[in-house]
This record gives sequence, structure tokens and C-alpha cells, in this order.
Amino acid sequence: MKKKDFIKNRFFSIIIFLQLFTANQVFGQISNIVSSVKIGDAKEKLPLEISAELFSSENITNMNIAYKPFGENEFKKAEMLIAGNTASITLPAEVVIPPYLEYYLIINLRNGSTQTYPLDVSQGVSPLQISVSTVSEKEKEIIVLSPNPGEMLSGDELLISISFIKAPENIDVSKTKIFLNDTNVTSYELLTGDLIVLSGENLAGKIGYGAKLLTVEVYDKEGKLYHTLSRSFQTVSAEVAMTVSSKWKYYGNLKGESRNESYNSTSTWYNNISGEFNTTYNDFRFNAFAYLTSEEKNNLQPYNRYTAAFQAGDWLDLKAGDSYPIFPNLIMDGQRIRGFSGALNLGFINVQTAFGETTRGVEGNLLQTYPVGSVPLGSDIILIDKVKNIYGKVDLGTYKRQLLVVRPSFGSGENFQLGFSYLHAKDEVGSINYGARPQENIVIGTDIKFAFDDQNILLTSQAAISVQNKDISTGTITDAQIDSIFGKNSNLGMSPSDFKKIRNIVGSFITVNQYLGPWNPQEFSSLASETALSLNYLNNNLRASYVYRGNDYQSFGQTFIRTDVKGINIVDRIRMLDNKLFVSFGYESLKDNLQNTKVATTTYQTISASVSIFPRVDFPNITIGYNNYDNNNGLNVTNAQTSPFAVNDNTNRVLVQLSYDFTAGIRHNSSLSFTTSDRKDNTLAKMNANFSSGSLTLNSFWNQQLSSLFGIVFSSSEIQGVPFKYISFSFGGKYLMLENKLQLIATLCPSFGDFKRQTLEFTADYNVLANLNLMFQARLFRIPGASTNSIIGLVTRLAI
Amino acid sequence: MRAKSLLLVLLMPWFIGFTSDENLPPTGDTPVALVKKIVKDVTYKKAGQSDWEVAKTGDPLFDQGQVKTGSKSLALVLFTDGSGLLRVRENAVLNIYGKRNDKQLDKNTYIDKGLIGFEVNKQENAEFKFTTPTAVASIRGTLGFIEVGSDSSTTISLEKGSVEFQSTRGNKGSGTVTGGNTAKIDLLGNVNLNSATEEDKNKNSTTKQLTTKKVKIKTPQGDIEIEYYSSGNR
Repeated sequence: MKKKDFIKNRFFSIIIFLQLFTANQVFGQISNIVSSVKIGDAKEKLPLEISAELFSSENITNMNIAYKPFGENEFKKAEMLIAGNTASITLPAEVVIPPYLEYYLIINLRNGSTQTYPLDVSQGVSPLQISVSTVSEKEKEIIVLSPNPGEMLSGDELLISISFIKAPENIDVSKTKIFLNDTNVTSYELLTGDLIVLSGENLAGKIGYGAKLLTVEVYDKEGKLYHTLSRSFQTVSAEVAMTVSSKWKYYGNLKGESRNESYNSTSTWYNNISGEFNTTYNDFRFNAFAYLTSEEKNNLQPYNRYTAAFQAGDWLDLKAGDSYPIFPNLIMDGQRIRGFSGALNLGFINVQTAFGETTRGVEGNLLQTYPVGSVPLGSDIILIDKVKNIYGKVDLGTYKRQLLVVRPSFGSGENFQLGFSYLHAKDEVGSINYGARPQENIVIGTDIKFAFDDQNILLTSQAAISVQNKDISTGTITDAQIDSIFGKNSNLGMSPSDFKKIRNIVGSFITVNQYLGPWNPQEFSSLASETALSLNYLNNNLRASYVYRGNDYQSFGQTFIRTDVKGINIVDRIRMLDNKLFVSFGYESLKDNLQNTKVATTTYQTISASVSIFPRVDFPNITIGYNNYDNNNGLNVTNAQTSPFAVNDNTNRVLVQLSYDFTAGIRHNSSLSFTTSDRKDNTLAKMNANFSSGSLTLNSFWNQQLSSLFGIVFSSSEIQGVPFKYISFSFGGKYLMLENKLQLIATLCPSFGDFKRQTLEFTADYNVLANLNLMFQARLFRIPGASTNSIIGLVTRLAI
Repeated sequence: MRAKSLLLVLLMPWFIGFTSDENLPPTGDTPVALVKKIVKDVTYKKAGQSDWEVAKTGDPLFDQGQVKTGSKSLALVLFTDGSGLLRVRENAVLNIYGKRNDKQLDKNTYIDKGLIGFEVNKQENAEFKFTTPTAVASIRGTLGFIEVGSDSSTTISLEKGSVEFQSTRGNKGSGTVTGGNTAKIDLLGNVNLNSATEEDKNKNSTTKQLTTKKVKIKTPQGDIEIEYYSSGNR
């Protein structure tokens, strides 16, 4: 046996060994809500789709995802769209940065509790990681010049061209194989230097009209498969191409679902229908989307979603219905609004705006009434009849909240942009009868961006200041109230007339009364600012930033932001060895207690390092990461007075991820990951936690019709001395039959150890007509000794 | 001591990154560009060739090759490093030059006359230049058109991105034109930089039209045939 083969075989032995003793994040995270999480292709600076399959969405109010790129301490949060039994979101391209993203899901339940996926993230369980590959170096090396993705070409115009100008030396261009819908057309190619060309002339009469999948297999000089590229396009007759090119282009689809959920002997039917329609004409684009579900209820926040959007090139963007407008992140980001949003980008001057409802008014419930004189104290005791002076204990409802945000800006943003933002949000006091403490919020902000040397030097900065009224139920303070407070016997140092002037000015923006804050603006308590400098030189991408967020900063357009924190963050991502080696370093130091509202100041320090190897040979891609989180507020942990307030913990986390596409008789792709973290809490609370988890997945492609999936997950944790271990297996397969019109998918996942459950999922998807599909889905999950539950559904999809 | 260590840690990656470039393969006989699409009368010529040949889809264009379009014709030219495409409008002559520099392809084009629409991706280290009888323009990532008039004056108009240019004659004026603006360089080397006019915007729009349509009107005196450009896939 050659030494190289020996090493390779030895390596696989180690992988198989590790597979048996490690755990997975994708299949094995235990949850009674989330069945599995599907991650799209995570590539640098490309939007990333994440969807969570739910056992049942019945008890969920809403779901959010918390995510952060490598080297950052703070998780950003965004709301996920729940449609049927799937919650999904597309993360913006700018946060999809190598080497990996960390994330977890936050599930808010109807009973008011919150759960995370994976469970107990707040207790020390590690969030999940998504490896982000550098925008496929192999795809940068081997370029499909033509056709463009989705392009429609007549036979005369057909051109397939692949460029190897940037390919590495070990590639043998002449060994490249080209397939069109599985038909090998390599013999029709013309090879010119590092360029392969197949034109319509060569292929005349060889391929018919219709959808085409171009597959290109690239081999190295030893004949080993180096990379596979694919691209979809269409070939049509010259007449069709001419007709299509001159008309409105449109497409759409309709989807209907009916499913039955049997959960703990309760059977419930759910129905939903969704439709999407897109049309384009030159630079004009119109898109409409609607999702209507039987889960929509007046006493809950909306489940239905509908949007109509119109775009004219890059200069006009209008949306009506539900949207998630993005403004500077201190102002508004990740918040759904039902109303209108739009942007007009003229280059020198631009305007962006959004207004509408962010929270629907949901009436509360009256539980008990109390006459004056026997009213107990409680946050849920409110005055329900002002005339008769009757109080009541209620389930508090939610006020309808209206929000307006506008941002004029100057400059296109390519080299310079200066923006000013104004946000006003207010709860409608009369929208419900049984509620408490309706609020109002104003945020004023500015942002600026400078970019030099083709954006290799990028300086961005933003600042915002907020004002919030925490209870506007009593309205604006009256003249009489002002006179009584600031009148003759007052020692507040302000005359009633001066205060009235201030009230009249400020009152034209926000309700003025005793609940208006902040009370200490001179301490910058409601100020938030961020400044970042990025340098992209010498294969380094260095980013340094400073954040300051006062403890009273609040924007109703950005309810997830972490406040009472300031500090620096430095991240450097280095590409080496022609992008085969990727090394990252991160350092962050944050402090809280900016306005001395806490017993002591805690310093949150994070050190991160990561190495990713993309060897481009017959060897796995490897990512190894290390993080150290140190939180300390300097209080004596043994002193009886200070120990209850002491923060003194340190967490070490190590991550190893491997992915490997290989041929062993047939093609396989595999991934292996391992995470271990250990938190040592030095305070008397001893909230120690250690957690290890690993996973292996193996997808095997037996032939054009059959593929299989095998997965193992192992998880072991010990939180405050309580151990919890389990192992899960996944066995699944996908089979295409009846000329690929029927797709059958089945997966069995048994779990053993401290968590016992068996799930079986089966899907049959039949392509009845070219544009009509019928899909049957069944999911059974059994918890031994407890219950057997099921979800059975039928889905119809029609494309137009 | 601690500060020195921190400084060393911060600087080390820069040195590592600086020393990580590799020497890459030598040049070959790879074309600089190829013809992606043709409408009507498009011909091309290789270096040193005297006669024009009828161009076909997929024809390779090598260093010093030329493409010529006739009336109501157009050619779509793709660069083989994936850096972008040129739309050679009617009655134009485009000269193509390219030089392999490791894995980079430095590109230059000489435009004798006519209008060329361009859509060029962000260039990392490679050069992408347009040369006309009166100017040289260097671009990195941009969308717009360049036109050489009958008096050899040059017009550069951009929808997006930026282009640095310099006049090669007379006053040798220079500047940078950015998205939404137009630069005009005359024979004397004078430069006029203004916001794009409606005419410029229309030209930017029409350069993207890649198909022609014919309408036949039957009259007692015979058929009238009207041919016009319409939008289509690139």
C-alpha cells in the first residue's frame, strides 16, 4: 500500500472512530418543537437560507433567530417567517462571513415562556455553527462564461463556454466532461487554450428544446474529480426566444396545504394557501406574495402574510403589506411592519421610508373586578371604569403599535453617504380595553460612510439618540398639573410657563408627562453609536469597531439590540496560500454599567481564533475554531455582601468541522463536526456547565434515482452537576421513480440515552403535470412510555 | 511589554498575508474574449489577417483581434476571465488586446468608432482599459457606455461604478466619472464632466437591447419593413 493511501485510509479510520463518539447539531438537537434545521449553501457574502422544520407550530407565538459572525460577542436577532410547519429566514449577505456563523433559535410560546434551540443556550449549551466557505474558490477558478443562470436561448444563440484561465496547474482541461441533462456532449466541444466552447452550431439537432441542466465535471491530471459545476438554462425556438424577449416575463406559483396534527390524543386540522407572482419588464419588476392560514386568529399576532412589491432598477423600491425594512441597525432592522415601505435612490439624494403597524392590537381578558377600597397591588390590576372607579385583574392585552421611519441620505454610498433618520412609534391607547402602560418612542439618528480605493478602505459610523415615554395612558401633562408641580411652593427651579413652553415644543413630537425619559440625558444614557473601519489589503481583511449604547437607549424598530455596553471589537481574516488557508483572529472587550446603574462594572472579553483549510486536493476541508469568553465584574466572590452580585466566569469552546466529497465506488459527501465547551463559574452560584456535541452525516449517491443519508449525533452536557447524554441516528433515502415524476423520501431517527424518541418521516411528491405537484407528508414521533403523535398533510403546488 | 506583545500579534498576520502569494502558471494560447451573440452583420479579424470573416456565436477573439458591426447590427463580446461583457453596437469597430499576468488577464480595447456598452465586474488586480483616439479610461467595476463620435471625441457615461480617464491629446485633461454622470473629451483634450442627460440615459438603456424585431406593413406600393431593437436576454 502506498504511503499516501495508508495515510488516507488511516484518516478515514479516525473519522469513522470519531463518528461513533461524537455528536451532531443538525439532526440530534433535542426539542419538542423543532424537528430539524436545514441550512442552505453557506458561501461568503451570499444570502443564507435557514429553515426550521417544526413538529407543530400550534403553540408558537413567534420565532426569532439569533446569529453572529466569527469574532463578535453580540448576537443579532431577526424574526423568522412561520408558514405551515416551517419557520424560515434568509440571513443578509453581509453577515455571511468565513470561517463560521454561530446561531440559535428563540421560540416564544403562547403560554408566555421562551425556549431556545438548542435547549438551554442561556445555561451554557453551545449555539450551533455554520461553516461558511470562502466563495467557492473552485468556482472562482473555473468560470462558466455562458450560459447565464436561467438564461433562455434559441438554438442559434446557444453557447456553452467554460474558462480555465484561473484554474490551478493540476487541472487537466482536456479531461473535462460536459453533460446536458445527463447526456454527455463532451465530444462536441472545441478546446482553445484554457477555454472550452460548445456552440449551437456544434449541437444543432443534438439537443431538443426545454429546460437544460448543464453539468461540468473537472478533473485533475491524475484523473481524479476536482470539482463539479452545474447551471440551469432553457433552449427554445427562435420564434419563442423572440416572443419572450419582447413581452412581459412572468411566473408564479400557488401552494395549498391541508394537514392533520395528532398531538397527545388531540387532533387538529390546519389549512393554508400561499401564492406568489412575479413579473418583469426591462428594469421594472413586480412581485406579489400572500400566505393565508387557518391559524390566523384575532386574539394572536398575525400569522397571515401578504406583500406587493414594485422595483424600478436600483432607483425605486416600493412595498405594501408585510415587509422587513432595513435602516441603520441602531434605528430599524429585523422588525416586521405591515403597511408601506419604500426607497427612492437618485444617487446624490435618496429617501427611504416605512410606516405601518408593527404590533396588532390584541384585546386582554377581564378576570376579576374590585371596588375602590379593596384593590390589591399588582401589575395586572388596572382601572377599567373611570366613571364608576372600578378596577380589574386582567390578562393584559397588546396595544396596536404604529411606526413611522424616514431616512433621507446624500450620496450613492459607493464612496460617500450621509444619512439622517427619524423614527416615531406609538401605541394606540384606544385600540384595546384591557391593557397597561402604552408607550411611545422617538429616535433621531445619523450615519455616514466613506469608502476609498474601491471600498478597500471603508469607514462607517452611526449615532442615534432616543426618547421614550413608558406610559402615555394618562396623556400629556395638563396646565393645571404643571401649575401644581412648578407653582409657588415648588423648589424645582423652573417656572410653570417655561415648562409649558418646553411641553408645547416637545409635545408636538411625543407625549409629555412624568413617564418621559431619559431622566439623565447628560450622561448619554439614551445615546447609541458605532464606528467601524475596514481595511482590505495584503490578503488581510481587518475590521476594527467601537460601540457605545447607553442603558436607556431604545428603538421600537430594533427591539433586539443590546444596551448598556461599550467597547471595541477587532477581527482580522487572512487569506493565505492562494486561498487554501484561511486564518482568523478576533478580540472583543465590552463593559457595561455605563450610567452606574449596577453594583459593579462587568468586563466581557472574547478571544477568538480559527483556521480553515481548503486543500483543493483529495482531502477534507477542515475548520478548527477556538473561543474564550471571560466575564468578570471584580467583586469579591467570597464576601457575603458582594458575592450575590459577583460575575466571574470563563468559558473555553473548541470547534472542529470537516467536510469531504469523495468517491468510494459511488459519490459521497460527508461532514463531521465536534464542539466542546466548558464554563467555569467562580462565584458561589457555581453555574458550571460543560457541553460536548458532535455529528456525522454521509450522503451517498447510488445512481441517478437513489441517494441515501446516514447520520449520527452524540451530545453530552452537564449543567450545574446535572448530566444529560443522548445519541441519535438518522437513516434516510430518496428515490425517484416513474420517469422521475415520483419522488419518495423516508427518514428514520431513533434517539437513545437520557432522551428517547423515535421519529419517522415519509414524503411522496408526484409531478402530476409539468406545472402541478401533489405531495403527501407523514411524520410520526413516538416517545416511549409517553405518547405517539403524528402529522399528516397533503400539499398541492401549481406553477404558472 | 504587554503592549509590544499585542502589537506583535496584530502585525504578524499582515506579514503572513504579505508573504502568501504564489507564482502561478504561465500564459497559453487562450483567447482574450469570445463572441457570445451576434445580430445581423458582424465580422471579425485575427492579428495580421487582412480580410474580415463573418463572425459566429462562440468564435474566439485573441490578442489584437478586431470585431466590426454593420448597420442595425450588434455583437456581444465576453471576456474569458469572466470579468464582463461588451455590447458592440452598430457601425462600430472594436480592437481587443489582452495579456496574461499569472492568473490575471489585463485587457485593453481600442475603439475606432461607434458605441460600446459595457458591464464589467469588479477587477481585483487585473486591468481593464478602453482606449479611443482621444482618451484612455481605466475601469474596475462599472456599467455604462463609451462612444467615439465621427469627430473622434469620446463620451463616457455611467449608470454605476466609476472610471478614471485621461485625454491623450492637447490639454490632456483627466478626471473620474461616476454613476449617473457623463464625461466628454474633445479633440483638444478638453474635458466636460456633467450629470448624464436624458439622451445619455436613453443610450445606456438602448445599449442593453440585444434583439431586433421586424414589422412588415403591406401597402399598395409594396411591403415596408421596419426593423427595431427590443430588449432581451443578454
